[in-house]
Amino acid sequence: MPEGKDELFKKLSDSVVYMDESLTVQLSNEVIDKGYDAYEAIEKGLSDGMERAGKLFEEEEYFIPELLMCSDAMYAGLDILKPHIKTKESGEKHRVVIGVVEGDTHDIGKNLVKIMLETSGFDVIDLGRDIPPQKFVETAKEVEAKIIALSTLMTTTMEGMSEVIRILNTLGIRESFKVMVGGGPISQSFADKIGADGYSINAAEAVRLARRLVGGAA
Amino acid sequence: MAFKYENDQLTSLERVSLALQFKKGDRVPAAPLFCGASHRVLGITYDKWSTDSELATKSLLASQELLGFDSFVTLVDLSVEAYDFGQEVIFPKNSTAYPNFNNQFIKNAGDYAKIKLVDPRKSKRMKSVIDICAGLSKAKGKEVAILGFLYGPLGVLSQIRGHKELFKDLIRHPDEVLGAIEIITQVLVEYAKAQIEAGAHSVCIDPLYSSPTVLSKSMWERFEGPYLKRIADAVRNAGGIVTVHNCGNGVYFEEVIKWADPVAISVAHPAYGCKTWEEHVEKWGSKVVTIGYSDPANTGLIMAQEEVVEDCRKQIELFVGNNAGYILSTGCEFPPNGNLLSAAAMVRAAATYGVYS
Repeated sequence: MPEGKDELFKKLSDSVVYMDESLTVQLSNEVIDKGYDAYEAIEKGLSDGMERAGKLFEEEEYFIPELLMCSDAMYAGLDILKPHIKTKESGEKHRVVIGVVEGDTHDIGKNLVKIMLETSGFDVIDLGRDIPPQKFVETAKEVEAKIIALSTLMTTTMEGMSEVIRILNTLGIRESFKVMVGGGPISQSFADKIGADGYSINAAEAVRLARRLVGGAA
Repeated sequence: MAFKYENDQLTSLERVSLALQFKKGDRVPAAPLFCGASHRVLGITYDKWSTDSELATKSLLASQELLGFDSFVTLVDLSVEAYDFGQEVIFPKNSTAYPNFNNQFIKNAGDYAKIKLVDPRKSKRMKSVIDICAGLSKAKGKEVAILGFLYGPLGVLSQIRGHKELFKDLIRHPDEVLGAIEIITQVLVEYAKAQIEAGAHSVCIDPLYSSPTVLSKSMWERFEGPYLKRIADAVRNAGGIVTVHNCGNGVYFEEVIKWADPVAISVAHPAYGCKTWEEHVEKWGSKVVTIGYSDPANTGLIMAQEEVVEDCRKQIELFVGNNAGYILSTGCEFPPNGNLLSAAAMVRAAATYGVYS
């Protein structure tokens, strides 16, 4: 008896949770071969698996190594499925510009936030690390982002975050974007001091914060 | 001339030494992990401070004279050891040195075999830290506590491989990782001994991934626990005191104590399983000395000095009020770009509110 669509999506989700990249690739190809909807496979398979992995992370069943392995599996599946998404099905997503501020190249926290935001339905533009303040602003304007997410691990580079906000204010476009900040030395007090819209202590909190900032449920 | 507050009766070294034995000296010691910030006291650039042991020593000595903290910590940056294993390191003029993450020395699993033994006493950057220990010891070793510093083997390897790839390799290529950890540990054992021989009273070991923010207990124990023990044993065998630093959230105290048996643990957050500092004090206050826990960024960059003093007062009252082993400190390095007067305010808080009756 041929395998049903829902069963295949469940297997796809499991392959992400169990960090099995090659199986994820194989199942993603199967989705295409069988003519199933790629967007649905991403939602009910890959994203569902990553969401389950995120819950396991919050419950301290999974830790950073496991989460990174899951995300590798997810991205491997996405590489296969994404080209087959029909544009009209991809829907309208809230766009986030994310990056590590200038002078800092520690990006593991930023990567985790990116993964969790993507899993939760945000369209994330990842600028990478060591990003000048102006670049955040230019990109956010260009892609019409809703959120600018700034990360740093070092106290010596924290000021780059306030510089982004200063530029937004100078250009008179501060109200067009929500700015969220995070990273090892960052705190709510610092976020308040520089006039950021929010601070989150970890990746899961960052998703809840981003949802709140765009007016969605926490 | 030694820095003294009006009611100070002991030297900094005596004060810290007693605190590490759960004994009451004249007051709570204050040790705000004042390291990179010292370059500004001497007026040199950060890259000079990171690469010239003589200037770094002078900077730390000048800072101690100015601010009066009770302990030196010879944390230069977390790429010291990695550099000597072959990792390219970037030295910004006004910020902390860091590995070039675009050019990792270990680029794939096969490259773990490239990690070879090096002699820290003949290396460049580890030798520099050994020299700082020697310089501080010569100048102030009888008056001020000197905590040497080394990054744990897994931390060192993460600087050489890159954090993300190393964490995945713990699952994908554990044997290759353990092979490199073994070599790094042998070098760190010698490095720890050399710091004590140079005059450090303690070596503060940083097993940064021993918390749930990064690894599970079992994975941390497998990849770092036994190696940490060998380094800690080497410190003790050389006549030094073992201390541990980890600024991660929820440090696995039980496991860290099992493997390193330190007299003190420097932290930024309550231990694993403790939701509050009150719980932390109740569970660990009589078992191991806590070094902490002012938030470095808030202390150095945000709070006014009176707010710093007030924050410290609350910590002192909690720990001293519960007879818990305690040294007042920042939970991680005092911000290199932080307000120097805020570090002084921490010392003032200890001298004002930490006096034992």
